[in-house]
Amino acid sequence: MNFVRQSLALLRMNLEGERARIGSVLTIVIGVTCTVAVLVSMLAMGTGAHRQAVAGVRDDEVVIHSQGAQIVQSNISRDELVTVRDLPGIARDSDGQLEVNAEVMAPIEGRWRGTGRRVFFALFGTSDAKLEPPARLTDGRTFRPGLHEVIATNACVRQFDGFELGAKREVRGIDWPIVGHFDQGQSQQCVVLTDSETLMTAFGRNGYNQITVRLNAPSDYETFRRALEAKPSLHLEVKRQRDSVEERFKQFNGLLNFVSYFIGTIMAIGATFGAVNSLYSIVDARRRELATLRAIGFGGVAIVAATLVESMVLALPGALLGAALAWSFFHGMAVSPFGFSFQLDVTPHLAEIGIAWALMMGLIGGLLPALRAARVPVTTALRGT
Amino acid sequence: MKFLPLIWSGIWRKPGRTILIFLQVSVAFALFGVLQGLRTGVEHAVDAQRADLLLVHSREAFFYSLPLGLLEQIRSIPGVKVAVPVELSGGYYQKPENGGVGMVAVGTDGDWTAAFTFNIAPQYLAALVGSRTAALAQDLTAEKYGWKIGDHIPLVTRTPQKDGSTTWAFDLVGTFTDSDAGGGNSKILINFAYYDQARATETGTVNHFNVAVTDPRLAVPVADAIDRRFANSSHETKTESLRELAQVQVQRIGDLDFLIRAVVSAVLAALLFATATMMMQSVRERTPELAVLKTIGFTDRTVFLLILVEAVTVCVAAAAVGLALALIAFPFAARLVLGIAMPKVTIAIGLALAAAVALMSAAVPATRAARLRLASALAER
Repeated sequence: MNFVRQSLALLRMNLEGERARIGSVLTIVIGVTCTVAVLVSMLAMGTGAHRQAVAGVRDDEVVIHSQGAQIVQSNISRDELVTVRDLPGIARDSDGQLEVNAEVMAPIEGRWRGTGRRVFFALFGTSDAKLEPPARLTDGRTFRPGLHEVIATNACVRQFDGFELGAKREVRGIDWPIVGHFDQGQSQQCVVLTDSETLMTAFGRNGYNQITVRLNAPSDYETFRRALEAKPSLHLEVKRQRDSVEERFKQFNGLLNFVSYFIGTIMAIGATFGAVNSLYSIVDARRRELATLRAIGFGGVAIVAATLVESMVLALPGALLGAALAWSFFHGMAVSPFGFSFQLDVTPHLAEIGIAWALMMGLIGGLLPALRAARVPVTTALRGT
Repeated sequence: MKFLPLIWSGIWRKPGRTILIFLQVSVAFALFGVLQGLRTGVEHAVDAQRADLLLVHSREAFFYSLPLGLLEQIRSIPGVKVAVPVELSGGYYQKPENGGVGMVAVGTDGDWTAAFTFNIAPQYLAALVGSRTAALAQDLTAEKYGWKIGDHIPLVTRTPQKDGSTTWAFDLVGTFTDSDAGGGNSKILINFAYYDQARATETGTVNHFNVAVTDPRLAVPVADAIDRRFANSSHETKTESLRELAQVQVQRIGDLDFLIRAVVSAVLAALLFATATMMMQSVRERTPELAVLKTIGFTDRTVFLLILVEAVTVCVAAAAVGLALALIAFPFAARLVLGIAMPKVTIAIGLALAAAVALMSAAVPATRAARLRLASALAER
């Protein structure tokens, strides 16, 4: 108990004296602030992109692709679609229609609004012209099957040229008018939809990229999967929609997180050197106090502990400030650094990571100065001027 | 010169502090070097792209097909030296998880290699032209999959052959290298004539035509002439040089540029504050010594300069170490962005920035040192 009491007394004394060493304290705070702000902002990219990707995911939906293929290479024949529609466990909508959506993906080209830079994105063909929540039509009407009509998200209108209502997109030598605008929740992604059969005809395609199936209940997945795998004529594989999205995201997020932590680590190392310097000068300024304390019986361990806690306490405001800065500057900001747009998402979890990072910097940075504080030679320090 | 020992002893007055500042500056500039190097490296890579190789593609979208019939018309345009049909498709080898292999089908007549950035040994070139199902693999691709010359390579694609199969098999007859870093490193070259004849769909169409011009200075007028020729036809074209295409690629990462700048600014801001505090502290501790210097005849100006030079020496030396580290680490970071080298200008900018950081952080303490009042400074002792 004596040790704890001593440490706490020391800590209080140290923190009360901090005002006199404002320069050193600010060095620590600013160093930690910059590091945490950068780390949290960069991690917020991955979080934001991930949140957007899983936003529309439903647990009762499964996606079907060709065996071993991602959506882009997948090629599902019409015969296979017919067989899939006969599988058990598929839900029906209010009109009694099976909830099976065969989708086609074709590349189209757009131009960024303002800069006119070229960008490629997907035109999706779907066999289901109804929009399901959270997607909802905000303007115009939906496309009619058999006609060359498309609908686009409002994000397209904001980001790219030529997506206004009534504008015509030229695709494969045909003019496709924009007949409606829709929103997909908070998503910033530009999505353009049309009828899948019309799109396949225009591109001379004979297969679908993906089939999305809604099951009666999420628990029907295993039954559905076994039934699908039991059909020898099907060269398809089924995944839960969530797993499929997560899989596609894993590599992207892995790279992003690696870069974030890499830069975060290097900045932390730099800031820690700065903190060590500041803490040394704080300890040095206290030599006589420390020597006096040792002389009246304070233990070395208590001094080490108090200095370590002090340095962590000094790192804390930087962490909070850094997370707050990241939040106020970047939370909700729409960016498109990888060719697609999403909003940065600064979550409490990221703030926690930032705080943990800062405490780590405080702990490591405080080690050497704490040892020096405990080793102050009593006699010379008291004798010196 | 006579001040050198004085500056040196100033630097090493508190070795621990100097070493820590030195390390902090080094780390900051190592990060600066890598990030800034990536930024400018990409710009340089774009400038290094050939402006005299043209790609004729559909005006609607880069990857829509054009009829093969345009070839003769393109060849007839004055200034066109070589025009080659190119059809792009792709598949995977053995497992989709291996990643894609691009299949570049090219028309192999005449001096076709003049319209590409590929480097192919003469015997391999002859072997490719000599056999219909021959393929050349990019060196890195052959290395990745362990392919040897003579291997039979099946690729799973989504393009059906006339017999309905979507698996295409080629005989590997050689390798090639690609000097265009933006062209990826996973592709094989095959004969367009064979590919076009064997496929069930889209026969007689190509993705684009590669065009080499007779005189590099003619690249722009020739590109315009080609697009004019097909204007208002059912197949309007857009002709762009490799450099223009690379610029489009780079523009996609525009926001990344902002990010790098933000990180670099944060690093420098934190660094500036740390060095400024340290210099301030150092000068404060040295007040009596500086007062003594002035007593024995050093002018205000000399004292001011002494402090500045001391700060600049430490910062620039540390930045040099940091940038050297960046130079060593750069090839690892550059793997994310293919084939770029760290531009020398980054090092120059880094050193200049280090000097600027030093001058800014030392300005206030140096001024204070210059204005020391002797009587009170000495009295502090």
